[in-house]
Amino acid sequence: MRTVYTMGVALLSGLSLLFAVGIIYGEATDQWFLGGGSVGALLIAYSFIVLLLRKMGMTGPRKTER
Amino acid sequence: MSTVVERQTPGRYARLMTTLLRETLRLDVWVNRLYPTDFNPLYYTGGLSNLFLFTLVLSGIFLFFYYDASLGEAFASVQYITDRVPYGGIVRGVHRYAADGFIVAILLHLLRNWFTDRHLFARDNPWISGMFLLLFGGFIGFTGYQLVWDERALTRLFIGGLGISDGTLVRILFLHIGPATALYAFLWWHYVRLRHPKIWPPGVWVLFCVGLVFLLAGVVPMTRETIPAAAPAAHPTSFPMDVFFLIPFWLLNFLPAGVVVLLLVALFVGGLAIPYASRRETPVEMGVRHSGVAQVIDGNCTGCELCYYDCPYNAIVMVPSPGHRSLLAVVIESRCVECGICIGACPFEALELPKFLERDVLRQVAEALRPGSGQAVRA
Repeated sequence: MRTVYTMGVALLSGLSLLFAVGIIYGEATDQWFLGGGSVGALLIAYSFIVLLLRKMGMTGPRKTER
Repeated sequence: MSTVVERQTPGRYARLMTTLLRETLRLDVWVNRLYPTDFNPLYYTGGLSNLFLFTLVLSGIFLFFYYDASLGEAFASVQYITDRVPYGGIVRGVHRYAADGFIVAILLHLLRNWFTDRHLFARDNPWISGMFLLLFGGFIGFTGYQLVWDERALTRLFIGGLGISDGTLVRILFLHIGPATALYAFLWWHYVRLRHPKIWPPGVWVLFCVGLVFLLAGVVPMTRETIPAAAPAAHPTSFPMDVFFLIPFWLLNFLPAGVVVLLLVALFVGGLAIPYASRRETPVEMGVRHSGVAQVIDGNCTGCELCYYDCPYNAIVMVPSPGHRSLLAVVIESRCVECGICIGACPFEALELPKFLERDVLRQVAEALRPGSGQAVRA
């Protein structure tokens, strides 16, 4: 399962890079809806990365909650 | 000492609520399989509402700087924000979709607390304040649609003709921002009796929700709807209907205006009455009302604050001690529900329920465990 999560993090990281390019492209060409939408997609990708890292046990919970 | 009250057969409503409670808890278990327990969004419906409200405030401040509250310029200024201001259309979309998210989160919060009995007894205070938060939230959303001053600005139907002037939109703008500010006063009321309210969701849900409203603002932009500007003398023809804020106007297609107003009032009053009219068992029936308000034994209190942090009803305050100690626990009688949690929290036997002393509990336990006792419990 850890391998699947790791692949998921890698895939989402690649997508995040794509969305970051979308932000820059949207800004450079004044396509603000593209840029804003890419910001949203990037944040959602980050949220899933955080979730997968948590499920892998690499982040949280706090010591007091263990 | 508590008295045993014979339980009555539960009615149809009680059975329905028990089913809903069971299904809500089942849903919790199912979601906990998908997410770590501390990420379960169902535990943070109130925090999610707060997140969307905060997003609304920030995006609203941005829009406020560009909006022109006058009859001739309101619609044009909104178009200017959407088309000309860098990322103005995105911020407008974020404001719009965060408003929907706010109402969805509030409704989830309401249903969850209703189904899990967190609106009864001492919890009636958050429930009542929550109903006002919902009412004000709906009203603010309605006034927000008026500010755009397109076909959906239905206020002009009530005060049309000579009644409409530049001042009208200024007043509507105040009715949008003023109650929005009041929401934070209601939130204070909402939290005043809660010791550890979860007012903010975990980071993963902050990222997801903020990301979602940005994504929607970009993918389903506000410009997709070409709705003409409002004409004070003209009646609207047809336009996209917002299901959260304008549904009463959709109902006008089927019901007379008076019936729609009565329906809304009945929903609100019914909501206020829920904690008092729908409870399954009274405290007396549960035998928990005869313990007496918790009392502090001053000589035993060390000022450690454990009871202060454990009381879920904010009924204990720490005050400067008149003796050599730094602090002393004091129970606020009007807030105490006689639950006994503080007694379990105190390692120094400095608290007691005067009509339900420790020796009474020990005697009841001994009686229950005695062989042949009718109240014997299974080990």
